[in-house]
Amino acid sequence: MNKEQIEQFQEETLVLLKNVMDPEIEINIVDLGLIYELYYDGNKKINIVMTFSTPACPLGETIKTDIIETIKQKYPDFAIFIDVVFYPEWNTTMVSEEGKRILGL
Amino acid sequence: MNGLKTNNAPHSSVVIPHFIFGGFCFLIVAILIILADTNILEAYFNSKIIAITHMAVLGWATMIVFGALYQLIPVVFETSLYSEKLAKITFWTSAISVLYLTYSFWVSAFTTHLVYASVFMFMSLFLFIINVILSYRKSENKNISSKFIIASIFWLVITEFVGTLIAFNFKFNFLSEIHLHYLKIHASLGTIGWFLSLIIGVGSTLIPMFLISHQLKKEKLVVSFVLINVGLLCLTLNWFIFSNSILTIICWAVIVIGVISFISFIYDSYKKRIRKKLDVGMQYTMLAIASIILPILVSLILILVFKIEYELLFRITTFYGFSIIFGFITTMILGQTYKTLPFIVWLEKYKNLVGKTKTPLPRELYSNKIAKIQFYFYVLSILSLAFGLILKNFIAIKIGSFSLLVVAILYNINVLKIIFHKVKNINK
Repeated sequence: MNKEQIEQFQEETLVLLKNVMDPEIEINIVDLGLIYELYYDGNKKINIVMTFSTPACPLGETIKTDIIETIKQKYPDFAIFIDVVFYPEWNTTMVSEEGKRILGL
Repeated sequence: MNGLKTNNAPHSSVVIPHFIFGGFCFLIVAILIILADTNILEAYFNSKIIAITHMAVLGWATMIVFGALYQLIPVVFETSLYSEKLAKITFWTSAISVLYLTYSFWVSAFTTHLVYASVFMFMSLFLFIINVILSYRKSENKNISSKFIIASIFWLVITEFVGTLIAFNFKFNFLSEIHLHYLKIHASLGTIGWFLSLIIGVGSTLIPMFLISHQLKKEKLVVSFVLINVGLLCLTLNWFIFSNSILTIICWAVIVIGVISFISFIYDSYKKRIRKKLDVGMQYTMLAIASIILPILVSLILILVFKIEYELLFRITTFYGFSIIFGFITTMILGQTYKTLPFIVWLEKYKNLVGKTKTPLPRELYSNKIAKIQFYFYVLSILSLAFGLILKNFIAIKIGSFSLLVVAILYNINVLKIIFHKVKNINK
């Protein structure tokens, strides 16, 4: 895979992750701005750096499972690694225009 | 991640029975208010009002709080519950004790059943206290919310001790002061020390989480913690030792400033919230926070007005208790049930299905229409009962009590709908 193909794959995976909802806020995690980085190595390995809307998020583990299962449904033999960070702290500037529209911001 | 790991949460069989039994007790409370008839308008220490109060506080509020707290300990303490087995034993002993205690009051069995019932109740609550304290010892993150919870546990012990003392005094008559003096201490420590501290502890974590608000001033919670506990400690010593009316006013003012500091924290959270539209659960919650002002004002009257005829004093005191138990505690619990219970059940039923199949949202586990109708009936019942108690209007009491019965029925329908939700398997 060349650089352009990798970037296109990453874009497509982000679109795929729009199927993963934050069940409390009721917006998908991409528009909510919870995904900080998504990196594909071109060899069936995806690394995701993400956050939650609060460190005490009771649904954190469930959201992570949802991400892995959603990707695995399309790419069953891929390895997915998720790193949850709380710096930088998530805030509303990270929400997409679509997300802001839904939240009424 | 920091915070709750899903696998830290207790099994639902620990939590769910508390919501079922709590809902059942809420229904009993509504029925008992109707059965109490004109007794509701009599002095606050008559056996029917005391029975209803204990059923409301211990059967309804405490049971739901126990269940919710077992689920929330991983969120607030960031560790798992010390013992799930102990929590199950506590549930059964508490459930039996509260029914026995309420029956003892209702039939005025002050010198017979009440002593045994109060001892059973004390032992049941003690099991809960042990479980929470041992969970707290495991916790590495002792934040301000967890300190509030531990303080509330301390006040629960004192409340229960005084309550048991009163029960024994009915039979053995050994206390120097009249019962009403100890009843005042028992009720104040229970409502301010146990419930208010607990609700602040849990609410200071959950409310900003549900409102999705950030960058809040936690210093306000520290101020609140110090003032409420110092004020209450001072007030307790004053009741038992000094009996100084000026000191009572000072302690009251210190506690009130502490409560206002908490309200200010929640107001910041409300102003900075990301989700602008409040769902029914948060509407109840915000109403509960706003309604704290009412008992503060009523207590001010009780403290400052010395020359007042007994009949009016008793009525104001009943209204004071009503404003705390129904205006604040019940409103908060009704709201937080809709925020916590659907998540607890949703996690249990769908955590292994997420990503594999399309799952409903937690709020789709209950009927929003029923929740909204319940809200309007609740406002009607609270206003009618408040009006009836203040103006001694029995028709208003009847409207309020039957409205409360409708609220209890609708609440139970939704709670059972959530608990017995059947998994819907929809392909993604």
